[in-house]
Amino acid sequence: MGTRILTVEDDERIRTAVRMALEDEGWVVEEADTGEEALQAFTRQPADVVLIDIMLPGIDGFDVCRSIRRVSDVPIVMVTARADTHDVVAGLEAGADDYLTKPFAPKELSARIRALLRRARPAEVGVTHLRFGDLEIIPDEGVVLREGVELHLTKTEFRLLVELASAPGRIFSRESLLEKIWSYGYFGDGRLVDVHVRRLRMKVERDPANPRHVITVRGLGYKLQP
Amino acid sequence: MTSPDIRPVQARTRPRRRTRIIAPVRRRFGLRTRLTLTFGLGAAALSAVLSVITFGLTRENLISQRERNAVDRAAADAARLPVQLPDDPTSLELEQFLRELPLTDDSSAAIAFGDTWYSIPGTALAESSVPESMRSAVSDGDAMKMRVDIDGVTSLVLGVPVPALPAEYYEAVSLADLQRTLDRLGLTLIIASVLTTIGGGLVGYWASRRVFAPLLDVGTAAEAIAGGRLDTRLPVGGDSDLDLIANPFNEMAQALEDRIDRDARFASEVSHELRSPLMTIAATVEVLENSREELPERAQTALALLAADVDRLQQLVEDLLEISRFDVGAIKLHLEEVRAVEMVIQAVRFLGGGGVPVHFDPEVVDVVVRVDKRRIGRVIANLLDNAERYAGGATTITIQQVEDRVQISVEDRGNGVPYEERDIIFDRFSRGAEGGNRSNDSGVGLGLALVDEHVRLHGGRVWVDDRFDGDIGARFVVELPIIEQQSDVTAEVITEAPPAT
Repeated sequence: MGTRILTVEDDERIRTAVRMALEDEGWVVEEADTGEEALQAFTRQPADVVLIDIMLPGIDGFDVCRSIRRVSDVPIVMVTARADTHDVVAGLEAGADDYLTKPFAPKELSARIRALLRRARPAEVGVTHLRFGDLEIIPDEGVVLREGVELHLTKTEFRLLVELASAPGRIFSRESLLEKIWSYGYFGDGRLVDVHVRRLRMKVERDPANPRHVITVRGLGYKLQP
Repeated sequence: MTSPDIRPVQARTRPRRRTRIIAPVRRRFGLRTRLTLTFGLGAAALSAVLSVITFGLTRENLISQRERNAVDRAAADAARLPVQLPDDPTSLELEQFLRELPLTDDSSAAIAFGDTWYSIPGTALAESSVPESMRSAVSDGDAMKMRVDIDGVTSLVLGVPVPALPAEYYEAVSLADLQRTLDRLGLTLIIASVLTTIGGGLVGYWASRRVFAPLLDVGTAAEAIAGGRLDTRLPVGGDSDLDLIANPFNEMAQALEDRIDRDARFASEVSHELRSPLMTIAATVEVLENSREELPERAQTALALLAADVDRLQQLVEDLLEISRFDVGAIKLHLEEVRAVEMVIQAVRFLGGGGVPVHFDPEVVDVVVRVDKRRIGRVIANLLDNAERYAGGATTITIQQVEDRVQISVEDRGNGVPYEERDIIFDRFSRGAEGGNRSNDSGVGLGLALVDEHVRLHGGRVWVDDRFDGDIGARFVVELPIIEQQSDVTAEVITEAPPAT
């Protein structure tokens, strides 16, 4: 069975065109035109990647995203109308891993999906076991434990943590994190990093407001406190 | 696609026709100077008139009072003459009488008895001091008073006939102290007039400023509107007279804002409506291109044309959307502090323009600008694209620091931009003479307009200049304000940044 992609889009013509373009990449595409339908389809058979348009009739894209996130760490791409609105941050906070703005080229979508699929595979760090205070990371298994209790991180959050853990104490600029994790370059959207760091802290930090592990270095980036 | 509906926006920079309601009259002085002068001159005239009247009245008053006193005393002194002296007094008795008179320092007396003039040395009133006409009038029995200049001092001379003896009694009173008092009064009044004049001028200046302040506010507001802050309004309700200006002005500004808003919204809505079908078309074209090999040759050619123009249309719609966001003020900048040099190098690399060398002095490396780097990246992309399209590609990019600003220059070796086109080249859908040739052109005429909008939003400016070396070609300069010069963190980040091209 090939890679399955669930696309949620209410405009039938766009949905069809996107499906055809994705099928050309060799992926299996499942379509849904409402949020309810998307949730049913996902419950029936979880996809490998979910593409959600935020502007949906009925349940909106944010809710679909949150509902899926409650049960799965599947990579999610949001489609927003504009890049400079709060929609992007809201979408990322709802659990999306990446976003695209309409109109996007199908090639761009395919590139995003490939980057997400790469992330879904176990990280190759060369270290089998990392420990930071109460945190324990097992990269090969994609497992993070805090005081022996497993934490549920999405693939992107896990990659972010492992990347920071690969060189404890070193400052990673937003740009370098964007490049390594999202395959974006210098001009990638720094908010991707910021929101994911925030989400990561919610899970790994005891007190996310006063982080002990994932530290912000003002004006420079982030680092993992060894 | 023609879009006359966004044209009026340009009217704010290049008005074609103006309605003049009031023909301007050229005057040598401005309104404020004239008001100040008028107030000053008015105060001067008024205080001069008041001073003259005051001086005249005071003088008359003082002199007449002095005269009355002198006349009374002279009459009293003269009346004592027949009482104290015998009918035929000797000269000794006369002198004795004069000596015993209660005269003040500034007065003197004399008696003409028979043909002889009696006076006491010390307080002598000389016979020559009394005019002939007075002597004859007094000897005829008329009391007289007269102002006479004695030894350069104005004095009042009084003559009283004493028919009982018969003799004539003369008394003189010096008016010198009165003169001094009047001189002082005159000086005081002149000083007061000068001060009043200056005061009047100051009041005029202050009043003109007060009156002018609302007009200056109107000017400032109009300037703000012209500069793009369309929601600028004048305060209303403070002063009913000023509201006569403020209300129509605000209505005008509102009408202007509404109109620009409507135009911009229209462009925005059109572009939004175009996006969905365009996305379907673009995706479909891509699907077709994936199976290009299976198509007949004619269909392949047609597909190539379609694909190229879909790209162009998509770019146009995106640019239109972006520019209409500028027009409705819906742009939100995601500002970050970045190194100008690093950003430019990354932009060039991102665009695959690896062949364009980036020149900069080592000290410019640490220059930090606060920008939405994706927008400024777009600016550089558009400039490189513009050079590619009209001038065979950019030759160099130069980054320089000029005082507190950084200048990013993109040079090409095209035909350059004529002086008369250097401003309009940043207008929407303007492509200049060089760009008029559309035969092999996939441009849409919004690229440079977007560059201008982006840069202005960052507090910078953009213009076209000659090349540094003076050769034929153009140099597009983007100037951005510098935030600060970071030096403490340089080393760390430079190691992370990719090496310069």
